[in-house]
This record gives sequence, structure tokens and C-alpha cells, in this order.
Amino acid sequence: MKKFAHLNARTLEEAVSFLGSYGGKAEIIAGGTDLLGKMKDEILPNYPEALINIKTITDLDYIEETGQGLRIGALTRLNDIAEHSGIREKYTALAQAAERTASPHIREMGTLSGNICQDIRCWYYRNPNNRFPCLRKGGGRCYAIEGDNRYHSIFGGTVEKGCYAVHPSDMAPALIALNASVKTSKRTIKSDEFFKTAVRKTTVLDRDEIVTEFEFPAPAKGSKSHFIKFAIRKSIDFPIVNCATSIINEAGKVKEARICLNGVYIKPYRAAKAEEDICGKTIDEETADAAAQTIVSEARPMKDNAYMVQIARTLVKRTILACKE
Amino acid sequence: MSEEIKEMPDNPMERDKYIPEKFNVLGKRGNKRIDGLRKASGKAVYTRDIVLPGMLYMRIYTSPYPNARIKTMDTSRAEALPGVRGVLRYDDPEVYNRRIPTLMGGEEDILAGYAYFQGQPMGAVVVADTEDIADEALQLIEIEWEKRPFYLNPKDALAPDAQLARPEWFPESNLLPLFFQPTNVFAHGDVRKGFEEADRIIEFDGSRNYHGCPDAEMISGITKWEEDCAELWLHQQHVYEHKWMMNQWFGIPMSRVKINAPYNGGMFGGWNWIDYSMVPQYISALMAKRLGKPVKWLLNRRDDFTFGSLDSMQSEFRVGFKNDGNITAVQLKSYFENLSYEPGLHFLENTKIPNIESEMYVAQVNKGPTHAIRCEQLPPSFALILVFNHVAAELEMEPTELALINDGVDGEDINSLNEFKKEHGFPVRDSLKECIEKGKEAIGWDEKYHPPGTKKLPNGKMHGIGFIWDHEWDETRGAGMAAVIIQQDGTVNVIATRSDVGVNAESTYCAVVAEELGIRYEDVLLRQQDDVHLPLMTPDGSCNLTTNSYVMKKAAKKAKRQLLELATSTIHLIERDVPPAFPGLATDELDVENSVVYVKNNPSVNKPVADVVRDVQGSFINKHPYAGTQNTTHTPVYAMAYHRQGRLGKESGRQRLCRQAHFCEVEVDTETGDVEVTRVVNVNDVGKALCPEAVEGQQYGGTYMGVGRNRSEEHIWDPATGVLLNGNLIDYKFSTFLDVGPIDTIIVETGMGLGAYGTVGIGEDVGTDTTYLLHGAIHNAIGKWVDHGPITPDKVLKALNKA
Repeated sequence: MKKFAHLNARTLEEAVSFLGSYGGKAEIIAGGTDLLGKMKDEILPNYPEALINIKTITDLDYIEETGQGLRIGALTRLNDIAEHSGIREKYTALAQAAERTASPHIREMGTLSGNICQDIRCWYYRNPNNRFPCLRKGGGRCYAIEGDNRYHSIFGGTVEKGCYAVHPSDMAPALIALNASVKTSKRTIKSDEFFKTAVRKTTVLDRDEIVTEFEFPAPAKGSKSHFIKFAIRKSIDFPIVNCATSIINEAGKVKEARICLNGVYIKPYRAAKAEEDICGKTIDEETADAAAQTIVSEARPMKDNAYMVQIARTLVKRTILACKE
Repeated sequence: MSEEIKEMPDNPMERDKYIPEKFNVLGKRGNKRIDGLRKASGKAVYTRDIVLPGMLYMRIYTSPYPNARIKTMDTSRAEALPGVRGVLRYDDPEVYNRRIPTLMGGEEDILAGYAYFQGQPMGAVVVADTEDIADEALQLIEIEWEKRPFYLNPKDALAPDAQLARPEWFPESNLLPLFFQPTNVFAHGDVRKGFEEADRIIEFDGSRNYHGCPDAEMISGITKWEEDCAELWLHQQHVYEHKWMMNQWFGIPMSRVKINAPYNGGMFGGWNWIDYSMVPQYISALMAKRLGKPVKWLLNRRDDFTFGSLDSMQSEFRVGFKNDGNITAVQLKSYFENLSYEPGLHFLENTKIPNIESEMYVAQVNKGPTHAIRCEQLPPSFALILVFNHVAAELEMEPTELALINDGVDGEDINSLNEFKKEHGFPVRDSLKECIEKGKEAIGWDEKYHPPGTKKLPNGKMHGIGFIWDHEWDETRGAGMAAVIIQQDGTVNVIATRSDVGVNAESTYCAVVAEELGIRYEDVLLRQQDDVHLPLMTPDGSCNLTTNSYVMKKAAKKAKRQLLELATSTIHLIERDVPPAFPGLATDELDVENSVVYVKNNPSVNKPVADVVRDVQGSFINKHPYAGTQNTTHTPVYAMAYHRQGRLGKESGRQRLCRQAHFCEVEVDTETGDVEVTRVVNVNDVGKALCPEAVEGQQYGGTYMGVGRNRSEEHIWDPATGVLLNGNLIDYKFSTFLDVGPIDTIIVETGMGLGAYGTVGIGEDVGTDTTYLLHGAIHNAIGKWVDHGPITPDKVLKALNKA
């Protein structure tokens, strides 16, 4: 690993200031479980000159239930979310997603903000020593198109460039299904508008912008949420497909639904049509399957990943069924 | 002494003739592992941990292309980087176009100017003050390449119009000469006749993708010179052989090479045979000589993904059988990648199938080398298990029944094996039957077995149950040498050169010595890291204990005889005689147990071993229990032993008598393709379990390794560039504890092993056979075959027509 400066920020303002002073050549580090791996393998053409440590900022690690909902500090570790009784009861999909992320050790280090800001896992992008200078690094093409794309997007690539790398977060679909907002050092962003694909970017965050807090609205009466992850391994694995669904039930019928897949597209894939489909219906095998079918009918799998369509369909169906009142 | 040694088998086909009626140490539970605490606490020292004063670090350039040649290379920027102490180029006069001998009688380029797989160490090395500087310097090397076509599939490599995959080594063809086999057709009987006699004939195919096993401790080594003597630190299995290689490489006498064998985080057998685990040691020695400082070479995690197992293969099967379950003919044709092992062998060694024909082709492909990684027996186990799975399903016969019908050897039935047992002193027991009975009971087979695709569970998944069988690896090959010395306080050292291979082997060696010598287990110690200048105890997988337990047994028996002679003999000095501990008694009137020498017919007359061996002269003069003066008369209780039993293991005529049986249950999610392994039952006839916990440890570890790798392990290359895509521990998917199990371990002890006390090795058995355990269980669950491993969800969904 090459040498870099390591700066402990005492306040959010100081962290932002450090970022600004390095002019885009510094990275934020919290748990470090994603960033350090990238640096060790030197997957990017440019190495950060400095890491700004925000773990030294004292007031960003908290879980607070309020009358309006739930607030979680950006540095809250995944394990604390997974084990929090209030979250498990009222924001079930969030706790389930945290519980299925990575491994016990990583959950003790990794933070919620780090999880949603993590970089893509595409094995072309991540090949050591920048072996594949792909689109996401500012290079010329996506190597997965003609390569091995068994874990790539089934819903197409970016409109403008053609990158097919999927977003790997387990927490992201739970945030979107639960209609969370992301507060940053500059603004508040709806979670389903937070993710954006560009060169070296997976979010809409500016280079000098830091996530500070997550806000979740209090669940409406009759709400249920559920998260399912499908991966090769039960621990230490990224999702092949995951899905979070949140449904407000009223009088035995779906009043409102939010369904989000991840691991299947370049960013978390909100299934708006399926949400509309299931609204006003009673949840059963048939309606859940129909909604799932609506989602996967939009799929355009690549040569190696048609199986992901079947898995996505199954996970959507099962999460809907799990939200039955 | 001599008559006791005669009780050991001179004939490598015979059973141990000297097995005690009662065991005090062996077979008991609770013997503390010598290495247990230090490994569990992280205090065990591995090669990578070693730091010597002034040591430099060496990293090797690896090829970015799967088949390419260096046209020009510029290392000037690397050489100019601060902290770089030396750069060795492939065109350096000392190494240019030079190959050196390696283990297994092979040879390898010291530093090739070409590569035949992406990631191949080649081209240049950098030696620097730190590993990071060396890495940075490697990236400053500029190379102009001649890129050549590459092949990732053996059938493509063997196509008539294929270009050469490794032209510098094989300029004629991509069809490789065979390594383990004399010809490419292995035959027994007449398959044509066998098919004519068959009531039914089936055909199917199966394959295994290239997979390997990167070390827990990434491989490394150190060379240090002191004038004309070399000292090596080795993460290696065959550490002693590096003395020979240093002799071959540098012409120095083997007596001037000292080796250190710290704990190592896995060699998995074949890594030890692959040249890239050896050649860097030569280069580090060369650079250490040039630079006058110790040089440590290291592979990083990605570099460590350079090798694969022998079952990288594609096979087509044709099987004939009668309606009563008798298999009459097996024919297979196989394509291997880079190296092969005969896939038809277990039909001969393990069954009465009279007609066998196996044809194989080995292609040079542009992937890393393959070898006996995690056991060379993978291909024959794969073939045996698939054939029995398919025949049982076709006959709608319980697979356990089919196994018992066809158990045998060399085309003959079990009676032939029983004759062998009688002739060579073994008990006549039906090992397979015993294993099957115990396994069926443990898993509840009779209640759970059902026709394929018929049992849907309340959770919506399909239940499947599977069974496989094989022989145990009774190879007992290789040689071992060790000595036993009783110290002046009655404690015992085992003096042996060994490498860190096996679960708890060093502790079990001590247990054998304790048993035979009558010393408490905790009073015996083997420090495996020391170079005691003896040739290596055989470190080969399942032969480790079978051969070496005889060595320990012999040495301990010799030492015991010496101890008793000391206990009954007067020591004659010039000034006076020193009486023995047991005056007037003969050696055969005494025995030793629990570190106490006692009179057999009156055990109340006894003395601790420590009193018998104590320095008699020191205590005599100084009245102290021990005195390290020049006048000491150290008691000469020291014995050395050697044992060799067989050349390569399964030689003609020496039969394998013990069997293993494995059972599992799976739940298949037919909507996602997920296969959950909900139960595994391992039954191993190990002959005699010298250390039951170690046996169970191999059964557990082997299951995670075997079942796990067929769930998910495979190297994945980019088809367009030949670059390995998953050379890391996230994308290369080892199964975790959560993915397999729970696991039952059942030990059967028929005493029919060829090792001391009738033991059989287990080190490779479970990890090899359970690799193929899931195929039959999945078929039982969904009624479809998934015979192309690893059995990933996409393949299951494809079999179900859902992908």
C-alpha cells in the first residue's frame, strides 16, 4: 500500500475543510472496510493523498426513536442497527439488512453511511493494479459486456456510457423501501435519489460533502417491511440479489408499497410499476407473483446472468408475502 | 531390541504384528495439542512473521497476459526508486534462459521472459527495504509485449487449428505428455464384452471447473548466507528437500544448508510440488548472495491464486449394468487442464467392476499449473461417485445397496479382499457394510430416503438425501526417520525434521512415543520447527501418520529397551561402580508406565524414570539431584529409527481394505437454485484412531473443504483477456461454517489399516470424497442431474428450466 496522510477530524466542519484543502485527492474513512481493500489492491489509477478520519467526530453514532420516526447517526455501526430492538420491531427490513451484511467482524466496524457510500464490486473494476481501466475509472469501455457478467446488471447499463456494474449495498434497498432521507453536511436527500452512477461515483454526493444522519418516517399503522438477501454464502458475501419491501396494509388490502431490489442494476432498483400493481390488492401468492412478474418483465439480462431474473422475481414475491398483514 | 523390530512388517502388505492389548495414551481423548494454544492465540510463528536483522524484501513481477513474451523491458525507473537495493531481470547473464531442477524431478525457468498464464511470476524481481517499496518498483517496470493467442478450455487448445499455448516449453502441440500415467488409455478387462453383457447402458457427462486453495498464510521464504553456509526459512511441505535443491542450484554441500520450518498456513499438498513455490527461494538465495543480506520473498494474496487442483476436467461416461445392480462396464473419456490423474483408478481399486476403460487427454491451457492440490485422488473419486449415483438412480435402487453389490477390488468381489486380509494378518471385517450401517442409522436413512423429486418440505423446498462411498487412502508411502532421547529429568524429546502438515500430527507422534515408552504424554515433546539434520518425516497428506507412527513406535521401543538396560546394569567407573536402580533384576522383569519403572510381579517396587536416568555421577559427587559438571556421566538413552513402507502408496497387489461412507441431506429452493446442506454424516474406517479428536478434526475440516468447494469454488477468468477475475477471498468463494452442516463424525475401527496399530490416514479422504457428495442428494431432491461443478444456483435453475 502506498503512503498517504491520515488526518483525524474533530468536527464535521473540520472534515469538510480537510476535504476541500486536498482538492478532491482525499477520501473519507470511517469503518474503512471498503476503502482500505481498494487501496491495498490499487484498483484505481490515482491513489488518495490523504484519508480524513471521521470516527473521531463524537456525535455521529446514535440511534434515536422520536415521535416523528427514527434518526440514525452516520457513524452508527451495522451491528448496532441489527440488534436494536426498536428497529427490529418497527423498521424490520432495516435490521434484517444489517444482520445479513458482511460478517460479524465487519458489522462491528462498518457504518451505515459507509455501506451506502461503498464502491462497486465489479471484478473488472476491482482487478488489482488497475488492470482494467474501465468506464467507471474514466476509461473507454465496460469489459463486462463481452466478459464474464454473471453478477452484473439485469436491467441494462448507464444510459450515457454503458457500465453494467451493480450496486452492492444491502442497506440501500432497506433505506429506500422505508422511505428514509439522507442528511449531509450540505442538504437532505431522499434515499431513492441518493444513488447516482458516474465516473468514480455511486452517489450524488459532492467531493466535499459528508453524510451525517439518516431519518426514517414513523411507520404508518398497518405497516410491515421485510428484507431478503440471496448470496452464495451466508456470511461475508455480497448480494447476487437482495430486496426490501415495505407495505402499508389497510383493511386487508395494500394501501401503499415500496419495493426495492439491489445487486441487479447500476443503482438500487425501485420497482415503481410493481408497487402500483399491488396497491389495492390483497396480498396472496397470485398477487405477489404478479407484482414480481411485473418487475422482471423489464429485465434485459446479459449472456451469463439470466438466472438473476428468476431470483429477483422470487425475492420480490417473498418480501411482498412477508408483508402480509 | 532386534527381535522387537522384527515384529514390524518388512512386507509392506502386512498388518502391524505388535499391537498392545491395552492402550494408555493412544485412542484416548483429551491429550492437549502441542500447537493448540499457540495457534489459537495467534502466537505461533509462521514464516511470514520472521524478521531478521538487515533483511530485505523481494517481490516478483507477474504477467498481465495469459500468453505473451517480453520484447523489451526497461527497469531503470524501478532501479532508481529510493529503497530499492537490487533488480534481477530475466536477461541477467546468471539466469537468462536457465532452468533449475525442482521437486518431482521437474525443472523450471528461474525467471522466464515469457508467460503462459496471467499472474505468472516472471520477468523481473525487485529487492527493497520494504515490501511496499518493492511493490511500487514493480509497477515502474515498463515492458513491450508480444501477445499471443490463449486458451482457457482444453478442447479449444486441442483443436486442429489451435496455436501453441506454451510454445517455449511445448513447441509441437498443446497435447501434453502424461505425468502420472504411462499411457492415455487405462484398461482392465474388455469393455465391449461388458457392454454386451449389460441389461442397460447409460451415457452422461460431468465436469469440474478449475479451482485451487490459496494459503491461509500467503507463501513466503527467506534465505540468509553466512560465508558458504545457507540458512533457509520455508513455508513448505517438503522442507528437507530444499537442502538437496540448494545443493543442485549452488553446488554447496547439503551439510551446509540449515532449514527452518516454522508453522505454515497450508500447502494443500500440491502447492509444494508447483515450481512457483520453489523457484523464488532460489532467486532469494541468489539476491541474498549478491546483496550480502537476508532476503525474504513474498507472494501477495492475488499471487497466491496461481494453482489449481487436478480435477479440472471434462468427462464423458458410458456405463453398462445388469438389472440386479452388477455393473459390467465403465468407459470414460476425459479432458484435463495442464496435468491429470487417472480418473478410472477407483473402479479398479475399489470395486468388482470387471471391465474398465478410461481414455484421457491433457491439454496445455493458459491457466496456472494444476497439481495434487488437496489430494491427487479427486479425479477417480469424481468418476466413481458420479457413476454410482447415476446407476443407482437408473435402477431405482438404494445407492447403499448398489455400493455393497459392487464392492471389491481388481474386478473381483469382496471375497478376494477377504483372502488378502487373511493372508496378511488383518481381521476379516466388512468395512463398507459397517460404515453404511452406522451412517444410515445416524442420518435416519430408512425413514428419509425417497424417490427423486418427491419430497416437498413445509418450507416449500425440496428435500434430498445422498450417499457416496470410497476406499480410504491407505497409501503408507514415503519414509520417515526420527530419534527419541530421554533427558536427565525423565522428560523425552522426539528429534525429527518435519513440516507443519496435518491436524495435530506432532502431538500424535508424541502420543505414540508416550504409549510405547511408558512415559506420560505431557512429558514428551516434538518441536517441529527445528532443523535436526535428519531427513524429513514423510509429510504427504494421508501417509503422514501411517508411516511416521511406525517410526515413532520403533524409536520408542528401542529407547525403552535402553532405559530398562540402564535400570538393571551397573555402570563401571574407574574409582567405583555405580549400582543400577533395580539391582539383580533382568530387563524383562521390568516395565514402564506413567513415567515410572516398576517390577512386573511386584509393582510396589518402582522408581520414576527420572530417577533411573538421572545423572549418576553428578548426584554422586555433589549430592544434588543434578549437576552439570565436567564429571557428569550422561545417561545414553537415545534411539533412532527409520521406516519405509511402499514407494508411492497403492502398489500393485497391496489392497486397500478400509472404506468410507458419507451421507448428506439438502434442501433445494427450486425458485432460487439455492442448495442448503442441512446435514452431513461422515463415517470413516480409520483402522485405529490414534487421536480421535484429530480424526474428527479432519472429518469436520474435510467436509467444509469438500462440500464447500462444490458449492461455490472456482477460478473465473475473463474470456476476452484471460485475466483471473476472482483472485481474492471475497470473489473466490470458500464456504463458511454457516454454509455446511451440521456435521456428524463417526469413526469405525476395523484395524485393517497398513499403518502402525492398523491405522489408516484420513487427511485427504473426507475433503476429497465429500466434494462430490451433493450431486446425488440434489438429484434426489429435484429429480435432475447437476453434474458440472461447482453446483452454483444458476446451474440448478438451468436444470429446472428456470434460467
